[in-house]
Amino acid sequence: MRTPSSTPLKFLNLWQIRFPIGAIASIAHRVSGVLLLIALPLLASVLARSLQSPAEFDALRAAAASTSGTLILALATWALAHHVLAGIRHLLMDIGIGSGLAQARRSARAALIAAPIIALYVLVRGLW
Amino acid sequence: MVRLFSGQRAWVAQRFTAVMLLAAVLAGVAWLLLGEPLDYARWRALVTTPVGAVLTVLVFAMLAVHGWVGARDIVLDYVQPRGLRLALLGAILLILAATLIRVVLVLATHGAT
Amino acid sequence: MHLRIYRFNPDTDTQPRMQDYDITPEASDKKLLDVLVRLKSVDDSLSFRRSCREGICGSDAMNINGRNGLACLQSLDELKQPVVLRPLPGFPVIRDLIVDMTLFFAHYHSIKPYLINPESPPERERLQTPEQRERLNGLYECILCACCSAFCPSFWWNPDKFIGPAGLLQAYRFIADSRDTATAERLDYLDDVYRLYRCRTIMNCTEVCPKGLSPSHAIEQIRLALLKQSS
Ligand code: HEM
Ligand code: HEM
Ligand code: SF4
Ligand code: SF4
Ligand code: FES
Repeated sequence: MRTPSSTPLKFLNLWQIRFPIGAIASIAHRVSGVLLLIALPLLASVLARSLQSPAEFDALRAAAASTSGTLILALATWALAHHVLAGIRHLLMDIGIGSGLAQARRSARAALIAAPIIALYVLVRGLW
Repeated sequence: MVRLFSGQRAWVAQRFTAVMLLAAVLAGVAWLLLGEPLDYARWRALVTTPVGAVLTVLVFAMLAVHGWVGARDIVLDYVQPRGLRLALLGAILLILAATLIRVVLVLATHGAT
Repeated sequence: MHLRIYRFNPDTDTQPRMQDYDITPEASDKKLLDVLVRLKSVDDSLSFRRSCREGICGSDAMNINGRNGLACLQSLDELKQPVVLRPLPGFPVIRDLIVDMTLFFAHYHSIKPYLINPESPPERERLQTPEQRERLNGLYECILCACCSAFCPSFWWNPDKFIGPAGLLQAYRFIADSRDTATAERLDYLDDVYRLYRCRTIMNCTEVCPKGLSPSHAIEQIRLALLKQSS
């Protein structure tokens, strides 16, 4: 028997809950926001190194074109693309544009589909 | 408890910086895709001219504010123990501030030459 | 018909378990609640709340196949089998499908769910134009079933501090009421990192509201009203 003082029993197994498309777009917005946040100090490092000399600049470019560099860039591109698309969606919904359930479902789906496509483009083509 | 940015103010700051960052991201993508191929000279000219350096610092400042509100929301959601929460928020604030200061210093030294 | 139902008896169990039931619904059984009532006549230890059996009292909210809804409004022919029933997510379980709603109603009471108007009332009633009355549509219908709040991730993480979609929809019901004079105080109370601003516009609330209401829209209106107030 559970003693009354123990933390109350709750059902909150996220795998057993069916999440609507809006919730998936939302958690992806959060994940992408965290990825971008982690990228921020790295971005400052890249900025510092890129300005040191033409040689450093070219070394950074070579690193970006390597396999791991391309993968990281593709992940960052997904994060930025999803975050920006979902962000625009949020900003519009905040002022009442597309905040009805049917439209919100459609825009959530659009952001979730478009961001990987943009990332794939970078993966295949490179950024420049 | 943590009232550095509370309620509506944080929400407005998040939306305001989001709009500014959206403009910056669009400008950056256009610059990459529409301009001549990226090289050292073009890159340097972009970020070290007085106007470019100020804009770059402004973008990083927007990033820091936007990132702070977002990170704070995430910590308030998932981290409930008070001590851990304060430690995490402090660490995030420190990293963001250090990043911003670093950008200012880098651009100050390179802009001078 | 095959059902899997979350069972927990606080007197004998330390952990919840899932119990399987097979039952043949009668022709007159149209909604999930009809089957549950039939099940209870077979196994009277099965516990759940219900009263009106027509979507008015708000007592039989539960998690049906991973989504919150009212058993009395859930048509049987729309259900995939096995029908998995669990208590409302994130709410303390009292027994089986019965959850503790104390915190939920405390949030509701915190927004002062009644008209505030210090002016002495007129002879008969406070009149509204049809337009003013129209603004309450989509708000007054809320039956406080908690389907929305129990499907809101922000409410799961901060159930003691975030008012949640149901309470916020009710708050807006009084903000939007032309006969209420306490709009400024109501907005001041809501302007808080936790009470209002935990909402991330996920819209899980609107997805599951069995009355077809949109708490996320009410929250959007509160934020805009706050914006107008402070500018
Ligand atoms: C590029 C760097 C960026 C970083 C590091 C960043 C980071 C974050 C983080 C961590 C969050 C919190 C997420 C959450 O609460 O779940 C957030 C939220 C948000 N971001 Fe960004 N962001 C960036 C760019 C942008 C841009 C360009 C936009 C504009 C379209 C934007 C729009 C938003 C919006 C509207 C929210 C609030 C969404 C909500 O209420 O949940 N962000 N951001
Ligand atoms: C001795 C006679 C009656 C008794 C004992 C009685 C009792 C009740 C009760 C206990 C309720 C439920 C109240 C609630 O949900 O809060 C109710 C509701 C209702 N009754 Fe009666 N009633 C009587 C006569 C009538 C008559 C004559 C009419 C119509 C002409 C009527 C129309 C209604 C309606 C429309 C409702 C629903 C109100 C709502 O939706 O809240 N009743 N009645
Ligand atoms: S808004 Fe809808 S889901 Fe939420 S409590 Fe009211 S009726 Fe139930
Ligand atoms: S829109 Fe807001 S209140 Fe509704 S489920 Fe999402 S976070 Fe919760
Ligand atoms: S039994 Fe009253 S709402 Fe379902």
